[in-house]
Amino acid sequence: MAAGGGGSGDPLAPAGVPCAFSPHSQAYFALASTDGHLRVWETANNRLHQEYVPSAHLSGTCTCLAWAPARLQAKESPQRKKRKSEAVGTSNQTDLLALGTAVGSILLYSTVKGELHSKLVSGGHDNRVNCIQWHQDSGCLYSCSDDKHIVEWNVQACKVKCKWKGDNSSVSSLCISPDGKMLLSAGRTIKLWVLETKEVYRHFTGHATPVSSLMFTTIRPPNESQPFDGITGLYFLSGAVHDRLLNVWQVRSENKEKSAVMSFTVTDEPVYIDLTLSENKEEPVKLAVVCRDGQVHLFEHILNGYCKKPLTSNCTIQIATPGKGKKSTPKPIPILAAGFCSDKMSLLLVYGSWFQPTIERVALNSREPHMCLVRDISNCWAPKVETAITKVRTPVMNSEAKVLVPGIPGHHAAIKPAPPQTKQVESKRKSGGNEVSIEERLGAMDIDARKKGKDDLQTNSFPVLLTQGLESNDFEMLNKVLQTRNVNLIKKTVLRMPLHTVIPLLQELTKRLQGHPNSAVLMVQWLKCVLTVHASYLSTLPDLVPQLGTLYQLMESRVKTFQKLSHLHGKLILLITQVTASEKTKGATSPGQKAKLVYEEESSEEESDDEIADKDSEDNWDEDEEESESEKDEDIDEEEDEDAEGKDEENGEDRDIASEKELNGDSDLDPENESEEE
Amino acid sequence: MAGYKPVAIQTYPILGEKITQDTLYWNNYKTPVQIKEFGAVSKVDFSPQPPYNYAVTASSRIHIYGRYSQEPIKTFSRFKYTAYCATFRQDGRLLVAGSEDGGVQLFDISGRAPLRQFEGHTKAVHTVDFTADKYHVVSGADDYTVKLWDIPNSKEILTFKEHSDYVRCGCASKLNPDLFITGSYDHTVKMFDARTNTSVLSVEHGQPVESVLLFPSGGLLVSAGGRYVKVWDMLKGGQLLVSLKNHHKTVTCLCLSSSGQRLLSGSLDRKVKVYSTTSYKVVHSFDYAASILSLALAHEDETIVVGMTNGILSVKHRKSEAKKESIPRRRRPVYRTFIKGKNYMKQRDDILINRPAKKHLELYDRDLKHFRISKALDRVLDPTCTIKTPEITVSIIKELNRRGVLANALAGRDEKEISHVLNFLIRHLSQPRFAPVLINAAEIIIDIYLPVIGQSPVVDKKFLLLQGLVEKEIDYQRELLETLGMMDMLFATMRRKEGTSVLEHTSDGFPENKKIES
Repeated sequence: MAAGGGGSGDPLAPAGVPCAFSPHSQAYFALASTDGHLRVWETANNRLHQEYVPSAHLSGTCTCLAWAPARLQAKESPQRKKRKSEAVGTSNQTDLLALGTAVGSILLYSTVKGELHSKLVSGGHDNRVNCIQWHQDSGCLYSCSDDKHIVEWNVQACKVKCKWKGDNSSVSSLCISPDGKMLLSAGRTIKLWVLETKEVYRHFTGHATPVSSLMFTTIRPPNESQPFDGITGLYFLSGAVHDRLLNVWQVRSENKEKSAVMSFTVTDEPVYIDLTLSENKEEPVKLAVVCRDGQVHLFEHILNGYCKKPLTSNCTIQIATPGKGKKSTPKPIPILAAGFCSDKMSLLLVYGSWFQPTIERVALNSREPHMCLVRDISNCWAPKVETAITKVRTPVMNSEAKVLVPGIPGHHAAIKPAPPQTKQVESKRKSGGNEVSIEERLGAMDIDARKKGKDDLQTNSFPVLLTQGLESNDFEMLNKVLQTRNVNLIKKTVLRMPLHTVIPLLQELTKRLQGHPNSAVLMVQWLKCVLTVHASYLSTLPDLVPQLGTLYQLMESRVKTFQKLSHLHGKLILLITQVTASEKTKGATSPGQKAKLVYEEESSEEESDDEIADKDSEDNWDEDEEESESEKDEDIDEEEDEDAEGKDEENGEDRDIASEKELNGDSDLDPENESEEE
Repeated sequence: MAGYKPVAIQTYPILGEKITQDTLYWNNYKTPVQIKEFGAVSKVDFSPQPPYNYAVTASSRIHIYGRYSQEPIKTFSRFKYTAYCATFRQDGRLLVAGSEDGGVQLFDISGRAPLRQFEGHTKAVHTVDFTADKYHVVSGADDYTVKLWDIPNSKEILTFKEHSDYVRCGCASKLNPDLFITGSYDHTVKMFDARTNTSVLSVEHGQPVESVLLFPSGGLLVSAGGRYVKVWDMLKGGQLLVSLKNHHKTVTCLCLSSSGQRLLSGSLDRKVKVYSTTSYKVVHSFDYAASILSLALAHEDETIVVGMTNGILSVKHRKSEAKKESIPRRRRPVYRTFIKGKNYMKQRDDILINRPAKKHLELYDRDLKHFRISKALDRVLDPTCTIKTPEITVSIIKELNRRGVLANALAGRDEKEISHVLNFLIRHLSQPRFAPVLINAAEIIIDIYLPVIGQSPVVDKKFLLLQGLVEKEIDYQRELLETLGMMDMLFATMRRKEGTSVLEHTSDGFPENKKIES
């Protein structure tokens, strides 16, 4: 079930890194990255479970890997796959991973022990191992290699059981039939072998390029009425390097039909393929193909005979970063692998970089033909390590180090890793261990990456860009160079550019000086730089005047308006300052106005009171009047107090009473006047 | 009747790139159709016969596309390895292609299996072509050899072992059945004659040759390799006529337009350049998304097909001319009406009185004629006018200023109208051709609206913008003044040198210098 390292088969295919989900429950995801590390991730919580560095990881990098199949006993505890190993005996938790290397050896790694279980070398391959497959029942291991041979291994004894020549060129892929009696092998053409006799049973045309993946898609024959011999009528799938078509073949009883039954198209070369086996005739095969461009294509099809037209995908899944604001546009995140969960309704997606993949379970919704998931990858960057297991070594990452994502062209979005949280612990552990980190090695070699400033790097390329842009008159390229604001950069570029490009540059600058002052100012910087740096060269030119004549004229005509413009500017400045000043004063005066308003409101209240009083009755006239008077008195008293508290205090109470009287006399008039008016 | 003199609209030279006949011609294509192939598209070849199908070689397949179909109408996929250089015969009925394993296969267009297989090369065959007599095939391979094959017998006739590196390109003469040319990575282009067993001519290109092309007349040879495209005169014994260096990466393919007047070159720098074959100057340039490997033009330049490294085939069709005619034209008065009485010959004693031709006045001119100055200004400040023809707006402002009524025309505007005017100023004030007029207008506006300033936040904002712009322009001009000083200095030093040599006064030199410039 594990897709034994799709795309790992050939040096032509750098995109695929050998990786696989553990069988059945997909509890773990093993990944052998290009730096030679084998990492096992827990799919449920996206944690690094184990990490292992083979001793010869630099000379013999891992080219393919395969999980050992779960044995029958393992079904009792489905979440962890066990394989009873006779070599270890008592332990029933040995989960074996077979790793093929570029030098031809095969390593068996136990994920439970966290160390190398055994090594299959003697009598095996003498060239790169391309594919490994475990036999479901017998505990045998099959491997194929660039040395054109296929080898059958006895894992318990670590010995070669059988070795035979599989093809005229290198054998790149293997697959064992569902009943375990046949073996598919492929270089460019596909062969079906009888395992017992090691004879070729069928030939298939195959692909123009080396086949990178082979897989059986059905385990039951399409026509159940006929007797089933274990192989006839079964379909299998093949994908090849640099090929956008996945072919489906059928094993027929007669040996005539050699071409593919049908094919699936994808957008780019497939790097990882997973599928759900169809148990019976009605159930469609679900297929998830991860392409080199980082997309996943999902197919759902009932395999039923010949189909001429290539099928397109039912659903495409992409992942992108969220675009924050205007500046950062969403960048695609490559999907590295995808595996169906055991319920066949959801998909495990592995995305991000090979060093820090994120694993996520996505429910399948086949209604939509295109899904784009938005994921912020920078947050979940720090490695999370199960610290309980002491054998685990987390990668030590410097915050300034840039992680280059290998192997996926078109995804150059290098995302800076957050500083690891377990750094201090790591350094302690490291001092105890005898392994020296790359950082320390570089330090010992006295290579200091920080010495080189950013400017240096850029000025190295700017003169080249500039000359290329001037020669091919490439507008975008020139824009990139000329629109820089860094004066130092301009100076360095002008210093380093070849002499014969000086005049073309001046002509280009002449063109660009005519525009809006915003951009033209930058051009003046360039012009000044050229004139100062290359003054001696320019003065030796015999035809300097005709060369620079237009430029001179242009500039002269533009500065003619300088005086008038300055005049206008003066006016404008005055205007603007006035406007801003008036705005300020407005703000200052507003509270004063408010005080006046308060006064008006009170008077209006009073009037309204009076009116109500008038309406009530004329009998109560005096009382009302008195009331209103007293009210008004109080109000005015308060105001008076506020206005001149100091005076009141000085004059004493006598004055107060006098002022009250005065005011009363005044206020008497108002209601009378009003009544008269009425 | 006193004639009204319409406002003279000042025309200014158009800045930037000139629109030539060539840019019009080469821009007259529809948006490209993109077809994804299985691998890098190494060769595109048009059938010389109608319906002008084209063969596309990519990876291990050859697709044949029709003129407008985006699906291949035929596919040759019986290659075990990568196929190269599928080329049509002159009659469009046979197709020949090389292969990575050293085979050369000949196909019938209607068939599926190869008609002939020429075995003899030991390494990949990157170039094949039919000779002018249609009965022979020339092939060049990575085993450094060039072979001539006979189609009827499917036998090898001749082998030339003169190249010392991979032979990657070649073509046969269209006129002489015995002549053909190959270009090799040993930097040479050789002309072979089937009658002599040896090369008759060899030219040194200087870089690994990626593509060669013979002019239809056979007199001129074009070779591309490295960043250079070189044109050689074969009749003068391989004299270098022109060397073009207009790409910044390797030139991979060459192509002639159907008239033979233009040469096209495609390069890894993602550009196709069009050269005139009379002046050998770049007259046009196309941009593409990826590095270009192959390029072909259809009959009458109807279609441009470009194949790229990422496997995308870009097909551009010429816009059809027929559409314009289909629009029904409004019926106009017949020609007779216009010439009525015009051809009357003057008799003796007749006095001919010409009726003054009716002058057609623009709307703003009519307004100006009737002294509706504010209306006229409104008319030219309309966005349709200011965006398309700002020079008209500026001319009217200038005219109003000349009449001394600009202040009146500008006065009495509300917030919206004044912000229109200010917008125009902000947009065009920095242009040197409009600057003197517009600065004047801006000052007048400020004078008029000074009392009411600060009442509308919109207008205030516009003034602020204007101020920012003017400030920038002043800074810019200050910089320019400094630069002018530098240049004066440069010119002066030059003058002095000349002066000392001719024994002239240096002080005289400078004004002279200025005269030359202005």
